[in-house]
Amino acid sequence: MWVYQKKLQYPVNIKKKDLKFAKQLVTQYGGFAGELNAALRYLNQRYTMPDDRGKALLTDIGTEELAHVEIISSMLYQLLKDATVEELKANGLASHYAEHKKGLFPTDANGVPYTTAYFATTGDPLADLSEDMAAEEKARVVYQNLIDLTDDPDILAPLLWLRQREIVHFERFKELYDFYKEQGL
Amino acid sequence: MNNYMLDDNLMPFINMGIEDSNPNDFYGPYEGYIKGNMTKSLYTPYKNYKPAELIPTNEKEELLLNLNQVQFAMHEANLFLDNYPNDQFMVNDFNKYKKMYNELLNDYESKYGPLFVNNEYMNKVPWKWDQRPWPWEGSN
Repeated sequence: MWVYQKKLQYPVNIKKKDLKFAKQLVTQYGGFAGELNAALRYLNQRYTMPDDRGKALLTDIGTEELAHVEIISSMLYQLLKDATVEELKANGLASHYAEHKKGLFPTDANGVPYTTAYFATTGDPLADLSEDMAAEEKARVVYQNLIDLTDDPDILAPLLWLRQREIVHFERFKELYDFYKEQGL
Repeated sequence: MNNYMLDDNLMPFINMGIEDSNPNDFYGPYEGYIKGNMTKSLYTPYKNYKPAELIPTNEKEELLLNLNQVQFAMHEANLFLDNYPNDQFMVNDFNKYKKMYNELLNDYESKYGPLFVNNEYMNKVPWKWDQRPWPWEGSN
């Protein structure tokens, strides 16, 4: 089971609306390298990890990814909340408004809705952990691309922080992969 | 050093377990938290970007920042220990932060409302859980 904590893992306080950036940032909610995809991937793969290390690590990183979904969602909410319909139209978000008003919806930066086809569960720990390492690297790159697209310090702070989490998670998955490889799995 | 920057100097310690971690390779909780990474050798900045300094503007924010940084230090130890369950230094580290966390959590919830629904201070109406602020609303 899970227990909700009524706070963010890292604070989000965005003072300026930025609709153009929100349209790009949404990919880290519902895109291939997004946090929702990461959470579902690890929480699905954990059941067939071969030992307690793997079951613990995928549970704990998968849980942290849910907290990252909340950080990205908070950023999107704050970037959009003061926008008028005219501003949404002028910034390429008319189609978002038509379907969702200012509600959040997991898509990539092109508006393609999230799909579970973005991840795999093979049931093989080496194959699954290789995918997990690649996923962390892809998310790191997308965070870097997003950092390149803004100069608002309120947006940069959580993006830099989340990028660093990808680096830590990659390392933990790699350690586990190397351990299983040594064990001859 | 401000009082929201908790204990950035780790005390010397005696490692009694099987060693996987290098105790000199860890940031203190404030620095590790703002960086998003407790391990010095893993920290890799992007271009010339520096992590944001988190500066609380009132007692509530200061307490929450303290809580977040020790919780983050515990979480980082947790992930490490998942892979290296025999690392006594890291277990000690986890417990050191856990003790601070328990005190900070109790302090915060007693003053500023629940972070967990099952806290000690839910015995009056109105029901405190459904009161602002919600985490995504920010402090503005």
